[in-house]
Amino acid sequence: MTAETGRLAGGAGVRGFLVQHGPGILRTYGIVFALVVLVIGVTANNPTFLTSTNIYNMLSQWAPAGIMAIGMTYVILTGGFDLSIAAGYSLCAVTAAGLGQGGASPAMCFLAAIGVGLVLGIVNGGLVSLIGINPFIATVGSGFIMSGVTLLITDNKAYIVDDPSFATLGGGDIGGFPYAGMLLIGLMVIGGFILARSVYGQWIYAVGGNREASRLSGIRSQLTEASTYVVSGLCMGIAGIITASQLSSAQADIDPDIVFDVITIVVVGGTSLAGGIGSMWRSAIGLGLIATITNAFSLLDLNPFYQDLAKGFIIVGALALDVWSRRLARRAAIA
Amino acid sequence: MPAGGTPPAALTVTGMSKSFPGVHALAGVDFTLAAGEVHGLVGQNGAGKSTLVKIITGAQAPDEGTLLVHGRPLDHWSPRAHMDAGIAAIYQELNTVPARTAMDNVFLGQYPRVAGFVRRGEMRRRFRELAALVGAEEISPDAVAGLLSIANQQLLEIMRALVAERTILIMDEPTASLGPSERERLKEIVRTLRERGVSVIYISHDLDEVLEIAQTVTVMRDGRVVETRPAAGYRAADLVHAMLGEVPDAAHAGAHVPPSADAPEVLRATGVTLPGAVHGIDLTLRRGEILGVAGLVGAGRTELLRCLAGAEKGARGELMIEGMPRRWPRSVAAAVRMGIALAPEDRKGQGLVLIQNGSVNVTLPDIAAASTAGIVSSRRRRELAGAAVTPVGFDPARLSAPAGTLSGGNQQKLVIGKWLHRRPRVLLLDEPTRGIDVGAKAEIYAVMRRLADEGMSVIVVSSDLDEVVDLADRVLVMHAGRKLAELSGAEATVKRVLDLVFKVEEVAA
Repeated sequence: MTAETGRLAGGAGVRGFLVQHGPGILRTYGIVFALVVLVIGVTANNPTFLTSTNIYNMLSQWAPAGIMAIGMTYVILTGGFDLSIAAGYSLCAVTAAGLGQGGASPAMCFLAAIGVGLVLGIVNGGLVSLIGINPFIATVGSGFIMSGVTLLITDNKAYIVDDPSFATLGGGDIGGFPYAGMLLIGLMVIGGFILARSVYGQWIYAVGGNREASRLSGIRSQLTEASTYVVSGLCMGIAGIITASQLSSAQADIDPDIVFDVITIVVVGGTSLAGGIGSMWRSAIGLGLIATITNAFSLLDLNPFYQDLAKGFIIVGALALDVWSRRLARRAAIA
Repeated sequence: MPAGGTPPAALTVTGMSKSFPGVHALAGVDFTLAAGEVHGLVGQNGAGKSTLVKIITGAQAPDEGTLLVHGRPLDHWSPRAHMDAGIAAIYQELNTVPARTAMDNVFLGQYPRVAGFVRRGEMRRRFRELAALVGAEEISPDAVAGLLSIANQQLLEIMRALVAERTILIMDEPTASLGPSERERLKEIVRTLRERGVSVIYISHDLDEVLEIAQTVTVMRDGRVVETRPAAGYRAADLVHAMLGEVPDAAHAGAHVPPSADAPEVLRATGVTLPGAVHGIDLTLRRGEILGVAGLVGAGRTELLRCLAGAEKGARGELMIEGMPRRWPRSVAAAVRMGIALAPEDRKGQGLVLIQNGSVNVTLPDIAAASTAGIVSSRRRRELAGAAVTPVGFDPARLSAPAGTLSGGNQQKLVIGKWLHRRPRVLLLDEPTRGIDVGAKAEIYAVMRRLADEGMSVIVVSSDLDEVVDLADRVLVMHAGRKLAELSGAEATVKRVLDLVFKVEEVAA
């Protein structure tokens, strides 16, 4: 968000400009600088980083988390939170693989999994928006239920799909560019466009910025909020089928930590947990940052034990920067 | 000027200056608060009152200048240090912790303690003492603060300031959210405090109130003190003159033409009911008419407007729009489709998305109009917003600023402007001039009158009775959710409204 509150007084000069606009620029583009610096640093130490093979690999590997970050961006922009995505993602993957093991066509498997994701999203949206349970608790609770259901269905065994066409979505490519990566980029662009330019996107920003003012302006706040969980559910479904296809199998609790990766992507990008401020390009940059750091550890042969440490510092640092720059911006805005 | 031998002033501010990038918020302010006086501080928004208060309370450090408290210099700028020096402030916005009890709120951060444990019994005893002092015996120490009325929550804050025997109390718009009887009680409390030797800086946009309660008045304009004089030497008109620096268009100029007797009826609502708040109100509104709604806080005025605007799910009643029976609106969107729009009471909490800019806020009710096939054009959005706010006197060049950075007057213009694009038949205004300065008030009045002259019908709720009586063609007086009377013409006077309301109160008591 750029807020041009007024022209500068003539004598303010460079210092005045930095005092007034520096915090805003830092807050808006700091994360871009960070990514650029990181990419240059990693490439300088290992030129393989910027090869197409490596980029394609990263896209493929991060497609599920990146796609769920799209839904999470929607949810967080309304001031909500979806902690059920790891469990939901497993349930969707298991749905696809289970049907695949039973001999259903890949299209059938994928559509069913996406349908399950949508239903889960509708349930979450209902719990948070219609019943009014705190999103944090509602989605932790629904996440447990989803995990439990997945365990019961699978009896904690993996479903394995033999049909090679089932693996095309996750493993196929055009000239090395993986389908999963295309899906990730395509969905991010579409999701970002809807958010930034559509009427629906404007509702999300308005509801996240001030729910009551939006309602009194005739916007259906509850429905708007609920719908973001459905978007998140849809993303769980798509992420689930990509993983099921990549592995040609699925089981309960595929990757319980993926929820933290997804939240990290959105928050490190600079989307505010208070709602109303943020955007999809931010989540794209956040994804780039987290993916690059993870990749750097293997490329540069660093001790992997430091990886969590690095991620942790980045999250805390990003949020501290956010709070700090906002405080400076507010100070400049009082004038 | 204090001569030798008199006790030092409670507060002496000398040469105080504070700049923000591009603005001199304070430019060499000298200000003296004599011990034991109530000192009115008035000025338009942006005159520097808030900055001065922030420096006195230690929330901000000045660029230059000195502050003496009871003759002793205070040059460490932190809220803690200034509190310890005996300075407390009560703001228009409440600073209570809604989920805690009344008692916990009063002793917040200053619990009577022994060996690190809170002395509950002592707290309870002192709570009752303080409650008696401010005439708030009816507040139970165990009441949940958030469930108390605004007036009672404010009393908790005053009690909080008294716990530590603060000698200097700053009250910033303390009566803005209070009804007439609560205002009287607050004035009484200020007098009691003064008798106990507390010195008070009293900031208010209600000039008559300032003149009534203060012994001395200081007028600020553009970061400077324009003049300081005994209150007895002022009339409200002089103050306005000093605040604006020029003779303003009289607030009452451009009187609106009341609709003729045969103007068509736009809205007829019968038996409007919201359980617990509004009980069977009937009202009619003609084209181009301004209907005022008066009553005490809690009379159900806001709720009545919210019912009409579709914002209350439990509302019932029968509705006719231009003679056609319509279903009672179940949502704001439904009311808007019928041509009824509400500018709510709480600009910041209910009217605006503060982090978004003016264009976004103004087009919120009608984003679709700025879009093609669901895709919003920001250029179209700016054009629509510009067209909507120009008639309410908002400078379109400021539309790109986040709403939260604007003055109260400009925020109110956005809240009204956002409905104008849709040309509602009926515009509901809840406290449209609360907490905004004299200049902006006059502009809002002019806008309301012009809209009515152009054929829009307006219902206005205000705690400022002069305002209601002055603006409205007809005044509906409410009490405890019921209609007491409808006054029009020469009958509609402040005195008549007060008589009606208080008579009922007496009977009830």
